[in-house]
Amino acid sequence: MRLRNHRNYAQLDLSPGPGVNVFIGANGQGKTNLLEAVAMLALSSSPRARRELELVGPVAPMARIEAEVESGGITAELAITLTVEGDRARRVIEVDGVRRRAFDLPGRFRVTLFWPDDLGLVKAGPELRRRFLNQMLVQIQPGYARALAGLKRVLEQRNSLLKRIAAGEEGGDVLEVWNQELVQLGGEVATARSAAVLELQPDAARYHAEIAGGERLEIRYEGPPQDLAEAVHNSLAEDLRRGSTTVGPHHDDLRVLLDGQEARAYSSQGQQRTAVVSLKLAEAALVARRTGERPVLLLDDVLSELDAERRAALLRQVAGEGQVIITSVEAGPFPPELIASAMVWTVHEGTIEACG
Amino acid sequence: MPQLPEPLERLIQELSRLPGIGPKTAQRLAFHLLRTDSQRASSLAHAIEDVKARIGYCERCYNIAEGSLCWICLSTRRDATLLCVVESALDVLAIERTAEFGGLYFVLQGVISPIDGIGPEQIHVPQLLERVRSEGVAEVIVATDADIEGEATALYLQRVLEPLGTKVTRPAHGLPVGGDLEYADELTLARAMSGRGTF
Repeated sequence: MRLRNHRNYAQLDLSPGPGVNVFIGANGQGKTNLLEAVAMLALSSSPRARRELELVGPVAPMARIEAEVESGGITAELAITLTVEGDRARRVIEVDGVRRRAFDLPGRFRVTLFWPDDLGLVKAGPELRRRFLNQMLVQIQPGYARALAGLKRVLEQRNSLLKRIAAGEEGGDVLEVWNQELVQLGGEVATARSAAVLELQPDAARYHAEIAGGERLEIRYEGPPQDLAEAVHNSLAEDLRRGSTTVGPHHDDLRVLLDGQEARAYSSQGQQRTAVVSLKLAEAALVARRTGERPVLLLDDVLSELDAERRAALLRQVAGEGQVIITSVEAGPFPPELIASAMVWTVHEGTIEACG
Repeated sequence: MPQLPEPLERLIQELSRLPGIGPKTAQRLAFHLLRTDSQRASSLAHAIEDVKARIGYCERCYNIAEGSLCWICLSTRRDATLLCVVESALDVLAIERTAEFGGLYFVLQGVISPIDGIGPEQIHVPQLLERVRSEGVAEVIVATDADIEGEATALYLQRVLEPLGTKVTRPAHGLPVGGDLEYADELTLARAMSGRGTF
């Protein structure tokens, strides 16, 4: 993997090992930036940057992330280049030197990302839970990334049209075609999410019961109405009043129940975190099952946030087969046998060195 | 940055307004023009003036035209019952290069896009309907792009054209000629499979 001017990495060449890789460094040295770069190659965009401009470091008006990845016996050269143009950054994605659209990148290799943001997965708003499903699905379901990008665009156009109709700037006769596209793409997204949640459920419940002494975890997909076309049709008056689309997968949620109770409202922070760890482990298991290959596990500084039992449960899975990249402020939370079998690196001010 | 002489600064400004040209490229082009001999430079300036003075849009199909009608609408050898609707004059050129299509065109000069304030009127849909109605068009091929706005435009045209009793079709999606099956993206491949034909 090579980074050029990605955030605080002026220049980095790195060859992580096939097993567990531990990156240790103080805060602000570039640990998360490294994981972000790996995640971008799997997802095509940064899971945390609000604007791509943020990703371009101070050395030049251009940033580049490159990696050789191997999946299912096929190697591919992936590259993302960001070029500053005025107050925005233009992104170019290449696979084996050929330019590709953003939604064609995911699926070349897969990651399961777990970072401190995710600890709020149960507690936070539904947006984070939709992101959880999206990040997984773009990597394993052909066409999902395209449908999701299309849905976003349809919503922008439809919402804009609703406002124009309400303001009398446009008649209502064009709305029907946007409804059709909303129903089509929304249906694709909802079907994929619904199937994925059903598939996540048994693994998530099993992991949770193991860590939490038998506590029963249930997850339920709260999607749009079965008959999306009719629901979109019926919501027209409300949509016009609000100037936005009230029905569709952009309002989806994933409900998490512990022993039959809404975890968001009734569970302790510890129980919620157990549920998060279980969901993340179930995600990795689902990706492995669907693709026949374990995803690269990216764990950003979450171990120190977990208590001993949850940490042990996570590390038990981690120590198995597959590539893992873990960052941490200190070596403290790692069992000695894990460190002994891992490649350990130190991160300091945008440089990375092998350690021991 | 040091202050550049005003004419040069103005040229850079103008060039950077062109699509696909950022401030850096604009600068490079401006300095190139500065070095070019003056005959070359004024020939470029005149070409730009000429194109604006002499090229307009076809009154019938909104393709580019030197007079009131474009070279395709002027031709007597085209099949007037077959009409291909495209987004831009560039699409006309692309289809003409294939030499496969013998009908006439209608250039929308855009697609339906509420964000940009573009609705059916802005892309000349009333004129299209009038033309189909009055000229006895038997088939309208809607060849807009396969992106979100292109699809929306195609769906809209289908809705307003079909009641007129004309046949409305959409170009097939399929595998690129000479392309490897395994490298086709899933949606293209899926559409190619569902739209398969006999030998």
